[in-house]
This record gives sequence, C-alpha cells and structure tokens, in this order.
Amino acid sequence: MNRPIHARPRCAAATLTAAVLATTLATTPLVAQDLVIQAARIVVAADTVLTDGRLLVRQGKVAWVGDDIPADARARARVVDYGDATIVPGFVLAQSTLTQDADLAESALAFTPDLRAAEGFDPWRKETRELPRCGVTAVGLSASPRNVAGGIGALVKPGREVATIPVPELHLTLSLTQAARNEERPPTSMMGAIDLLRTTFTIAKAGTHAGPDAAVLRQVLSGSRAVFVHADAYTEICGALDLARDFGFTVTLVGARDAEKLLPRLVEQKVNVVLDSLLPESRLEQLTLPTRLAEAGLPFCFGGRPELLRLSAALAVRNGLDRRTALQALTRMPATLLGQQASIGSLRQDHAADFLVFRGDPLDLDAKHLATWIDGVRVYGEEPPAKKPAAEPAATVAGDN
Amino acid sequence: MRISLLRSFLAGCCCAAIGLPIVRAQEPTPAPDQPTPAPEQPAPEEPTPAPEQPAEQGAPETPPAEAERRPNRRRRPVVVIEAGTVHPVAGPTIQDGVVVIRGERILAVGKKGEVEVPDGATVQSFPTGHAYPGLVDAWTDAFTDVSVRGDGGLDAGDAVADALRLNDDRGDRLVAAGITTAYVAVASPATLRGQGAVVRPRREGFEVWQGHERAALGLRLTAGPAPSHALQRQQQQQQAAALFDGLEEWKKARTDHEEALKKYEKEFAEYLAWHEKKKEGKPGDKKPEGDAKPAAPGEQAPPASPPAEGGERPRRGRQPRPPGEQPKPSEPPKPNEQPKPEEPPKQDGAGDADLERALGVLLDLLAQEPQPQGPAKQEPKPATGEPAAGGPAGAAKPADQKEGDKKDEAPKRPTYPKAPPRDPQKEALQRVLDGELPLRVEAHRPDELRAALAMQERRQIPAMVLERAFGAAAVAGELAARGVPVVLTDVLPIPMPKAYEDYDPAALPAVLQARGAPFAIASGSMRRAASLPLMAATAVGRGLDRDAALRAITLSPAEILGVAKDTGSLQAGKYADVLVCDRPLFASDSRVLLVLAKGRVEHEVK
Repeated sequence: MNRPIHARPRCAAATLTAAVLATTLATTPLVAQDLVIQAARIVVAADTVLTDGRLLVRQGKVAWVGDDIPADARARARVVDYGDATIVPGFVLAQSTLTQDADLAESALAFTPDLRAAEGFDPWRKETRELPRCGVTAVGLSASPRNVAGGIGALVKPGREVATIPVPELHLTLSLTQAARNEERPPTSMMGAIDLLRTTFTIAKAGTHAGPDAAVLRQVLSGSRAVFVHADAYTEICGALDLARDFGFTVTLVGARDAEKLLPRLVEQKVNVVLDSLLPESRLEQLTLPTRLAEAGLPFCFGGRPELLRLSAALAVRNGLDRRTALQALTRMPATLLGQQASIGSLRQDHAADFLVFRGDPLDLDAKHLATWIDGVRVYGEEPPAKKPAAEPAATVAGDN
Repeated sequence: MRISLLRSFLAGCCCAAIGLPIVRAQEPTPAPDQPTPAPEQPAPEEPTPAPEQPAEQGAPETPPAEAERRPNRRRRPVVVIEAGTVHPVAGPTIQDGVVVIRGERILAVGKKGEVEVPDGATVQSFPTGHAYPGLVDAWTDAFTDVSVRGDGGLDAGDAVADALRLNDDRGDRLVAAGITTAYVAVASPATLRGQGAVVRPRREGFEVWQGHERAALGLRLTAGPAPSHALQRQQQQQQAAALFDGLEEWKKARTDHEEALKKYEKEFAEYLAWHEKKKEGKPGDKKPEGDAKPAAPGEQAPPASPPAEGGERPRRGRQPRPPGEQPKPSEPPKPNEQPKPEEPPKQDGAGDADLERALGVLLDLLAQEPQPQGPAKQEPKPATGEPAAGGPAGAAKPADQKEGDKKDEAPKRPTYPKAPPRDPQKEALQRVLDGELPLRVEAHRPDELRAALAMQERRQIPAMVLERAFGAAAVAGELAARGVPVVLTDVLPIPMPKAYEDYDPAALPAVLQARGAPFAIASGSMRRAASLPLMAATAVGRGLDRDAALRAITLSPAEILGVAKDTGSLQAGKYADVLVCDRPLFASDSRVLLVLAKGRVEHEVK
C-alpha cells in the first residue's frame, strides 16, 4: 500500500540526516579525553620544575602546564595522579641505527648522501618496542657509520606495537671512523675518506653537479641541513673539524672519544657532541669527558645504546657532572641537536606529551622507573588508580633543581 | 730459653708453610698536616692515631684481650666519627650518630650524646655526611694481572695470593671507592681456578687477610655466553663433578699414613725407652748408634747421631773434650745404620709438653758426642768421606751388634712409614669435602645451577657459593631451602649477551630476596669496583629493599667470606672499617670523604 503523500518528505529528511550523521562520524576522528597528569615533582625543562604540579595533555600534546590549566578543562579531564613521583621529559637519543646497521648502510658504495634512513627502517622490530622501557621516547635514526656519507636521518618515535616516523628527513650522516674505511671498496684509508669528502663538497660548492647527492651537500653548505660526523680518534676529529672550517658549516661530532685533546678548537668552532655510551669500566678520561665539555661550555648529549642512556648520565654525575646539565643532555640538548626542540625534549606548552615517571630522581639508579608516555599514550609501566578531578591549590614553580 | 727459641723457630717454619701475608706498601704514616676535621669543626687536638705493629709484617695480630693484659702497653688514642646519619647495617639507621674507635677496633656506635666518648678523643665531624661500614666486594680480580686471569693451567692447588701484585692503575685503588675488604679470584678459563684470597685494600697496596690466604676454591661450571646446548653443557658438568672422584682412596691412604705414623711414634718411643733404661743400667757403655736407615725415595734421611751419654740431658752443641783427646772426624751414618730419626712433626695445636718432649729427644740426638767404646763394643767406623747411607746397605756390618746380641730383648726398631705422594689438587678438593674450604662455583644458566646443586648434594659439600648465577631466578626456591649463597655480578642496567638476553641480573636481587635466598652483590672486576654502590642502587631501582641492598655490599659478603665477626657492619668489637660519604651512598653523585680501615686513614678528601 502506498504511504500517504504528506509522510514522504519526513522520511526522506530523516534518512538524509542519518546519512549525514553517519558520514560525519566516519570522517571525524574520535576525540580522546584530556588527561591531567599530576605528580609531586614535574620537570618541565631542566630549569623549570613544578612542585605538586600538573600537566594537561590533549591530543598527544601538552596543552597547559601548572596553574595555566583552565578550570573547565581540568574538570573535564581524566586525572592520572602519580603521587610522590617525579615526571621528566622523555629521553631523546640523538643518533642511533637501532640495531639495523645492515639495512642502513649501502656497503657497495661509500658515498650515498641522498639515501634516506627512513626508507630502510623496519618500525616493527622488537628492539624498537624495548625503547620505552629504557625511557627513550624519540630517536634520531641515522644511516650507519659504515659509509663515509651514509645518508639522511629521520626522527622515529617508538610505540606500544609499532614505531612512527614523524619527521622523515633530518641531518646528513658522515663518518670518518674505522668502520667507514673498508678494504673491499674505497676509501680504504683515512686520507682517502677525507679526500672523498673534500672532493664531493668542492664539487657541490661549485654547483657543477646536479645530482641528488650534490643537492644534499649544498643543503649542508647553505646551513639548511645539519650534519653529524662520526669521529672518535684525534685524527678523525681533526679531519671533521678541518672539513667544517674549510667549507663553513657547523658539525656535530658523534663519539668524539678524544675530544678532550681538542677542547679549545671545539669551542672555537662551536661544535656539538653526541657522546658514546659510558660504562663503569670506561677509561677515566671518558667518564670525566662530559664534565670537561660542560666546563668548556660545549653543547653535548648522551648517545650510544638506548639501554645505557640512564647509566651514562649516572656515571657522568658520579664523575663530576651536575645533575641539571646531565638531565639536559638526556632531553633538551639532543632535541636541539636534531632541530626538534620545538616539539620534544621538554614539557612546555605545545610540546609532545612524551614523559617518564620515576619514583625518585631519574639520575639516581635507585629510582624506580614507573611509566613511559609517548604522545599522551602510556606505552610502558602502570597507571595509578584514576581519581576524580578536584580543585587543587596552584602548583609551585621552582627554579633550578 | 732453649724451648722458647726453638718454639720461635718452629713457629716461623709454620708461618712459612701457611704463607706469610704479602707486604706491598710501606706502613702509611699519618701525615701530621692532614686536616682531619670537616670545615665546621675546629682542628683536632691529636693527629690520626699512629698504627700499632701492623699485621701485614707477618706477626700475628694481638687479640684485644691479650692487649689488656699487658700493663705497660700504651693506650691507643680514640677517634670519634660524627655523622649526620650512621648506617650500622646490623641495626637501624642512627641520626646524628657517632662511631667511637680505639686503635683498630670500634668501641661503640650510637647516637651522639648517648655514647660515652673518652676524654682526649679526636673528633672528625661530618654533620651532613653518611657513615657506613667499609664495603666488602665479594668478588674482584684486582691486584691480578692479565696472565693470571687468562691462565687456563690453574688447578685447585694454586693460590691466587701468590700471584697478587699492584698494576699501577685505577684498579688498585679499591679503597678510594670505599672497599676495605675484597675476595680476589680470577675468572680464568681453567675448570679449577685456584684458591682465592681475602685481601684488605690499602692506600697504596693491599694486605692479605691472615688466615684467609686460601679462602675458597674456584670451579667453573659454565660454558659461558657462547652458543651451546644443554647436552654439551651436561658433558662439561659431568667432567667437573668427576674431579672429586678418587678422593676416598687418596684420603684413605692419608689416613693410613697418619695411623702408621702414630704407631711409629709409639713403637719408637718404646724403642728409645728400652735403650734409655739399658743405658742407665750400664754406665760407660756406648749407646747403640742408630742404623743407617735407608731413606725412602723422596724423603730426607734423618740426621744420625747417638744418644747422650749417661743420664744427663746434654747441652746443645759439642761436649767438652777431655784434655789430650783428639777431635774425632764426624761420622757419617753407617750403611745399615738407622740414625735416630727426628720426632715426627707435631700437628697443629700440639701442647707445650709434647713439644718439649719432642725437642728434648731431638736435642739429645743432635748433641750427643760419640762416646769412647770398649774393645767389645767398638763399632766399625767407616772410612772418612764415605757418603751417608742413602740407599740400601753397603759393606759395613750393622753397627748395633748389641741389638744382634740382645735380639731377644730389644724391641725391633720401627720403620718410618712412607708418606703417599703429595697432591695439592686432591688436598684442596678434600678440604672442600671436609668443609674447611668453601667451593665457589661459577654457573650462569639454570641447568648449570642445578648441576652445581646436584653436585653439592651428591658429594656432600658443606660450603658452596654460586657466582654470577644469572639464571638464579629459576632455582631461587632451592637456593633458599639449602641456604646456598649467591654472589651476583653485572647488577647494572646493561645489555646482556645474546645467549643471556632472557636474564635480568638487575632484577635478580629482588627476586632472591623475595624467595629468601642469601646473596651478595659484587663488582666482578676491578674496573667496576667504584660502581659497587651503583650496582646496589640499581637493585633498589628494580625492587630490592634499600636495607637489603646495603647489606648485600657489606655484611652479607663478609658472611660469605667468613670475616663477618671482624667487618661488614659498624658494631663494637669489629674492625674500624668506616666509609663516610657526603650524601647517601646510592646517590649517583655521592662522594667518598673518608675511608678508615682498621682505624687507619686509607683515603681522605680534603
């Protein structure tokens, strides 16, 4: 039987509304609930510490800090109260191949500056899932140091199951270490490696070569692309410094085992340093190098193996480095060296909600690591029981701690 | 006086046998200009007390009780350590505590104001500091060199103490890290790694702890992190367990020899007594000379000399010659003669009476001059220069014709029993089975640990310690039930080799504590000695109680090493081994301010 004529427009309108609603819901992402993270001590940055502080996390970022949090936002947010814990920014590992050396080094050719590490990276590897347990929330994925010019790095962030690559192109990786000198293909010597770099930079500077490799070198010369150079021994460091001086770019040394022998020159050329891992059995010169670099005013950060980051910082503190500089060398400084200080390395507003929760000071090994959060998602550890949001007194901002 | 001199001589021989402690450094003289107090306190009235006779020079330590009996002994000065927090380990933490020290030992520990401090005491004050017992490293390879550490030819009889030396690197400076006692052993590739020693690190050297020169026997029961499967490791474990085979027979041979020695002593005493009586009954008779005893292979022939004349105990040395008498050439032992042998060496702990008796007999034999004999009794003298009889009888007829004449009356001269060949390895293993020498077994994987426990049960090994034991979580219950202590190393947030990636040494202390298994935390290497507190801190970060972590690097290793009655905690009567830091020991930036070992300043930061 036919429907009455007057009912037909109402049915059509309802159907249309339902269709529009369904489409809207399908295309609009679900809005995660805001989080208020509370703890006895929140280290927003090395020089900004909140006592009995809180952060409001919205869509993976720090939306507000401390008493800037609007009351209505606080009221709607889910509270995660870690009680007497200390919250610090997540550790940033400035340089690593994340055990994928083989896929991040083109062994047939020594000079591949245009290759991209992000394209050779497997985000599902087990080693990447272990990073949050070490407190690492961001990594400067680099090409392997087994090539003189390995390629372009990327920023990788671990997740619960799979890592992400928020920034696919970062610095250029060069290497003058023994690993880059290969008997089976040139260069086979230190002289050959330096000559190769000089030649290619000269060509790039001249602008006569239009290939992608020269384009990358021109970016370095123009200052639009940072360059990390693996150099450990004195001659290797000198070679890197000579190259940087002669072609007018700033260099970040990776390893720099003999940096102490060249401190004045490193200061003069404003060199950054990414240190290798420290171990208890490391030579005393290595254990005290962070202190010497800090005293010289050189920007540096801890690098090497992700599992050894915290131990490296603790050993540096044990051998004279002050705690504030040590924490900066784990967080803000590596972010700066990667050019990502606007998004990671601290818990300031609009930074990624990447943070670690400790019972105690993270630079003391007796502090228990309770949790790791990346982009506002807990990827390691436990969460305390949820509490209802309540009006609390304003947080106290402390100075240097 | 004679007895006292000989006692000293024999005592010296005994010291040499057990190994004199090694002296590596001059006695550190407390510098008079050392600023001892903290900045907040005025300068002390007295300098740091000068040490008494140091034990490292070989003289045994004087027990405190004996010191008190010496009325003319100078009273040692008293040093008081005041600290914001004192951590005795054996008791609760003390705020505003003091440690009172006299000489080498702690007099008292307590709260400031509640502990009596003698007048004139030197006070060192650390108002915000933390005082701990000196740390005890349950395993290090400090003071050994690369060749010893890599020596695959070590065996159970070797003593690591004989190879200790200074390496002139930071590995020598254990005391600067607060370590006042350490067990030194090497992780060599040998199955039996020799006997480790307990040492006391010093400012510039070390001293071996007397009585602990051979503190434990090391056994490697692990295949290491190289890829291997359980069957391969089983073979190795069986080979290690087979080291104890054959010990019963060897022990029986030793026991039989000891019994034979006792029998020989008895028979020889009877033999001597018979001849003494006979001598008393016939003055002027020449006493029978001992037959030249053919020396057993490898044995030294005892000296031959006739007994003393008459019934007097002769003086040591030659008797005065009658005027006109020509000195006789010294007579070598005649063939077939059995010279009076020495008294068998006394066992340890022989009383003075036994010692005197033995020495009396020995001296009788040594001092006796050959007496002029009547024609009937004159014995044939060998030609001058004839060598002493060291083998079967020569051409000379038996000198003791009286024995032949009175064969029916004289007891037969007993024959010295031949000792079984010496085997230092078997001796060490037997000492392990007798409980005199702990066995320290390095085993990593659970199957290796189970094999070690099975070996202990099968061989009834009284004292065993497991080392490294990365897989101990799997056998924690059994360890707790048997009370087998574990010395843990690598307790740091460091990656393990691929074969061990499932093990978590940093979390192991908490697991063992939860199951009640005894353990200690050790550096395992001289290069990690300064990180011993960081290892304990790491364990705390992974769930171990703070007090248990401190105990794991102080009192627990002292118990494992058998020196807990002298060190490992701040308690009255123990050695004054004290570590003072500027902040809690487990803080990464904790600095060592002062280290005392036996009351002497071994490290100080001005």
